[in-house]
Amino acid sequence: MSREVSFDPEDEEFFGSVGSFGVPKFDDAMRGGVPRGFMMIGFTDTGSGAELFGKQFTSPAEESDNTMYVSTNESKAEISRIFTKYDWPQDIRVRTLGEEYNSKVLEKELLASRYRLEGFKLPDIQRLAQTRFVEDNTQDFLTEMTNEVMSMGPYFRGVIDSLDFFIQRDDQTRVISMLRMMQAHTQMYRGLLLLMISRDAIDAATKQEMAAIADMVLEFKVRGIGSEFETSMIVSKFRNAPENLAVMVYRVTAEEGVTPETVERIV
Amino acid sequence: MDEILRGGIPYGSTVLVAGTCGSGKTTLGMEFLVRGATSGEACAHFTATEPSVKLLENIRQYSFFDMKMIDSGLINVFDMDVLYSWLGLEKASFDLQDVYALIKAIVDIVNTIGVTRLVIDSVTTLCYKIKSEQLIRDFLFTLGKKLATLGCTTLLIAEITSATENAHWSSFGVEEAIADGIIVMGDVERMGHLLRYLQVVKMRGTQHSRAKYAIELTPLGVMLTPMLKWGALNDRAGSWGA
Ligand SMILES: Nc1ncnc2c1ncn2[C@@H]1O[C@H](COP(=O)(O)OP(=O)(O)O)[C@@H](O)[C@H]1O
Ligand SMILES: [Mg+2]
Repeated sequence: MSREVSFDPEDEEFFGSVGSFGVPKFDDAMRGGVPRGFMMIGFTDTGSGAELFGKQFTSPAEESDNTMYVSTNESKAEISRIFTKYDWPQDIRVRTLGEEYNSKVLEKELLASRYRLEGFKLPDIQRLAQTRFVEDNTQDFLTEMTNEVMSMGPYFRGVIDSLDFFIQRDDQTRVISMLRMMQAHTQMYRGLLLLMISRDAIDAATKQEMAAIADMVLEFKVRGIGSEFETSMIVSKFRNAPENLAVMVYRVTAEEGVTPETVERIV
Repeated sequence: MDEILRGGIPYGSTVLVAGTCGSGKTTLGMEFLVRGATSGEACAHFTATEPSVKLLENIRQYSFFDMKMIDSGLINVFDMDVLYSWLGLEKASFDLQDVYALIKAIVDIVNTIGVTRLVIDSVTTLCYKIKSEQLIRDFLFTLGKKLATLGCTTLLIAEITSATENAHWSSFGVEEAIADGIIVMGDVERMGHLLRYLQVVKMRGTQHSRAKYAIELTPLGVMLTPMLKWGALNDRAGSWGA
């Protein structure tokens, strides 16, 4: 990883040293936004609004073809509905790995039941006699995902929601080493990469390891107070700027999406 | 081999080739197919014990084998794992429906390409996925019957751990019951050497020799020589290619 990346001076001026969260009040609380080159990990609770936060993070879309949103559990239609509702740019790169996975599996199951019902036709048999390996129907989504991130150019912006998908299918140490690669790429290309993962999906040691690789750690929490729910985000790690560590209570509104209400410094 | 069998394996029969590991079952099976392919018969080999890539890599070293037979489609090698995957059978154990799906697929293949020589290598590996003995019996019986009506001559390869006189020639004790013939391959110690041998225990429709023959796996293929100590008097000495 000793490759030098040269940046266009005009780009340097245009993008600046920090990028917006897509939420002005968060930017203010973080003294301008996220430093370019940061890989962030968000540890999430169900119902904390983290999914929306992830989508909102793409909304600044400085360059739409250099902005990527990867979802592992939503469909393109669902994503599009939310982007439309908030009027966030939709010409960004969107990949829905859950959908891709399901259609692969479904396709294979359909084919199998067709073979079982109707039997093999001559061309099927010829193909079968020439097939020497079992096709990996689930394909290697983790490698593909990493390659997708690694192919992003200078000042990219990317969100992966969520890593749960990979943790469930791959060996955890592989996921961790892919994270290191993505972190290095993000840093070198001054990108902004936000990765979400459910707190429940990993054990404490894995969480610790992921937090150590990330430049910034966000904890999305939800707790019940009487009949209400309070959603909050804790910035528990901010590389080189511990003064930014904070607890922010936020609401999700129909107009602005995720909106902080109170900001409390930790240090 | 043809001389031992007094002509060969009767058409349409199902023969169990039971042998210990490395005794030459796969090689014998492949020679059986090559002989058929040479005279233009359509052949099929289902490999479950090893991936087809490995099988072909090994078998191509023998001079009797020619990759052209594979390329031209005369010998069709099917990887059981691929077949399982295509049929949605990537699971540890098969139920009745799965077993029928498997039989249907094999019969389909035999029928569609008009296979007259078939090797299943091995039924032991295949049957590991079938948990009940009744189901194994059902499977082998149904398969054997269907193949016989299609006029296909079949070698069912079985892995056994020992080939002694009173050993079972099958792992499940049912393979031998459905077979028209049984060929046993194993090791025998002679003057400190471990020799491979072959013996035809049963072959319906032929007055075969029941003697033990020493086998040598040579680059030419399987070579057989009578073992005099056990050999019947009227068995001519010499060696034959299978
Ligand atoms: N090219 C070859 N020439 C002669 N003998 C070989 C060759 N390749 C393998 N063999 C012998 O064949 C044996 C394996 O035979 P194989 O038919 O695969 O046995 P099985 O199927 O019963 O396990 C090997 O142990 C080796 O001794
Ligand atoms: Mg073998």
